Amino acid sequence: MPKFRKVTLLLYVVMIMFPFFYLFLLSLSAEWKFPDLTPNYFGIKNWQQIFSSQSGLGTSFITSLFISFFVALTSTSLGFYVSRYISYHPRRHTMSMLAYFPYVIAPVVFGACMIYFFLKMRLFGTLYGVILAQSFVAFPYALIFFTSFWGEKIQSYEQLVATLGGNVMQGFLKVTLPLAKGMLMICFFQTFLISWFEYGLTSIIGVGKVETLTIKVFLFIKESNFYFGALSCCLLILPPLFLIYLNKRYVFNKIL
Amino acid sequence: MKFLHIQNISKSFGQTKIFKHINLELEAGKTLSILGRSGCGKTTMLKTISGLIAPDEGDIFVAGIKINDLSPNLRNIVYLYQEDLLFPHLNVYENIAFGLKLKKMDNEVIDQKVHQMIIDLELEGQGDKMPNQISGGQRQRVSFGRAIIINPKLLLLDEPFGSLDVETRYNMQQLFKRLVAQYNITSLFVTHDLKEAFTMGDTMAYMKNGDLKVYPSKSSFVNDRSTGMQDEISFWNNIKMFDNG
Repeated sequence: MPKFRKVTLLLYVVMIMFPFFYLFLLSLSAEWKFPDLTPNYFGIKNWQQIFSSQSGLGTSFITSLFISFFVALTSTSLGFYVSRYISYHPRRHTMSMLAYFPYVIAPVVFGACMIYFFLKMRLFGTLYGVILAQSFVAFPYALIFFTSFWGEKIQSYEQLVATLGGNVMQGFLKVTLPLAKGMLMICFFQTFLISWFEYGLTSIIGVGKVETLTIKVFLFIKESNFYFGALSCCLLILPPLFLIYLNKRYVFNKIL
Repeated sequence: MKFLHIQNISKSFGQTKIFKHINLELEAGKTLSILGRSGCGKTTMLKTISGLIAPDEGDIFVAGIKINDLSPNLRNIVYLYQEDLLFPHLNVYENIAFGLKLKKMDNEVIDQKVHQMIIDLELEGQGDKMPNQISGGQRQRVSFGRAIIINPKLLLLDEPFGSLDVETRYNMQQLFKRLVAQYNITSLFVTHDLKEAFTMGDTMAYMKNGDLKVYPSKSSFVNDRSTGMQDEISFWNNIKMFDNG
C-alpha cells in the first residue's frame, strides 16, 4: 500500500475514532479546569458511580434498555404481522401511505399533539406512556421496512406449503420465519436504535419523570457536568456497538 | 365417475370472467395437457382446483369425493409453479423431505423415501447441496421430487419447464414422463408450447378466453384448426420441402 494511502487511512480512522476516544477520556476525568493541559483527577471514580443512587445512571441505563427492548420487540413482531395483512390487502397503497404519517411532522410536535390523549389515558409521565409514544415512531418504521418482504414470491411459498399439506402455522414456522430471519433481526436492531436514541417524544411524554439515558445526557450537559455527560454518552454507545457486532456476526455475513 | 371430475366450475374477479362452466374428466394415472395462451385463465383454473382460489360455482370431485369445501392442505393436490420455489434455507435432501416432515412421518421412513427419490431424480451426491449450488434443471427435479414424494392424488403443473433451455427442457420432459408412470401420478399439465403439450399429455385440452375444450382423442386435437396444430404441421412440411429443393 503506498505511504500516502496509509496516512490517509490513518487520518480517516483517527477522525472517526477521536470523538469516542475523547468522550472516554473525559469520562475518566474530573476537575479539569482551564488552562490545565491535563485533568487533576484521572481514574475510574466516575465509572464506579454508575450504580450509585446519586448519579442515577445505572437506573437510567436499565430503564432505557427495558424501554428499547420492549419497543423493538413489539414493533418488529407487530410490524411483521400487520405488514403482511397490509401487503395482501386490495387497498395496500393507501394503507402504506398512512405509515409515513408520523414522519411528516417532527417528533416533538407530534408528541405535543398527543399530550391530551396521554393525559386522558393517564399515561403522561409514565414508563408505559414513553413506550407507547416511542412505538408511534418505531412501529410505522417496521411496517414500512417489511413491506418489501411480502410479495408474490412469499405468497407463492405460502401457497406451495399449503398444497404440500402444511397448515398456516407450519408454513409460518418452517418457511416464512426462516426466510424473514435476517430482516427481522435488522428491523429489531433498527427499532431498538430508534428507541434508544429517542429524545424529543420521551422528554415531552415522560416530563422528566422517566429518565432514559438520552434524557440523562442532556440533564448532565445542562448542569455543566461534562464528566458524567461523557460517561452517559459512553454508556449510550455500548448497546449500539453490541448490536453492530451481532449484526455483523450473525446477519451481514450470512446475507453475503 | 372418473378419478378427477370437474363439473361446471366458473370464476370471476369483479366484472372480469376468468373462466366459465368448465367441465372435465380424467382417469387415474393419466396426464391431461392443457394448451392455451398467457392470460387465458389456465393458472386461475389450476389454483381453483388446488383450493387456493374458491370457485364462484361448480363442483370438484377427486376419487369420487367432493373437495370444494376442503382447505388446500387437506386436498392432497400439489400445485407446482413455473418457478421451482425451492426453500433457500433448506438443502436438496431437506427440500425433498419437506412434505413428509409436515406429515410427521417416521425419520427412518423419510430417510429411505428421500434417498430413493434422489436416485429416481438422478441427483445422487447432491443431497447436501443448497438450492443456489445446483443448476436450473436440477432445481426443477428437486421441485418435482418434493411434490411426488408425498404421493399426491393430483399434480397440477403450471408451465413447469417455461424457464429452461431447449435441451434441459427435453430431458425434464422425459424424466417427468418416467416419474409419472413410475409413481402412477394423475396430473394436469399446463403449457403454451404446442409440441410440449402434445408430448406430455395422454389427453389434450385447449383453453381460450376462459373456455376449456377437452378433446376425446389426440387425433381430434390435431384435426381442430383452432389449436394451431395444423399450422405447426404445415410449417414443418414446408421446411422439409425446402430442404428437398
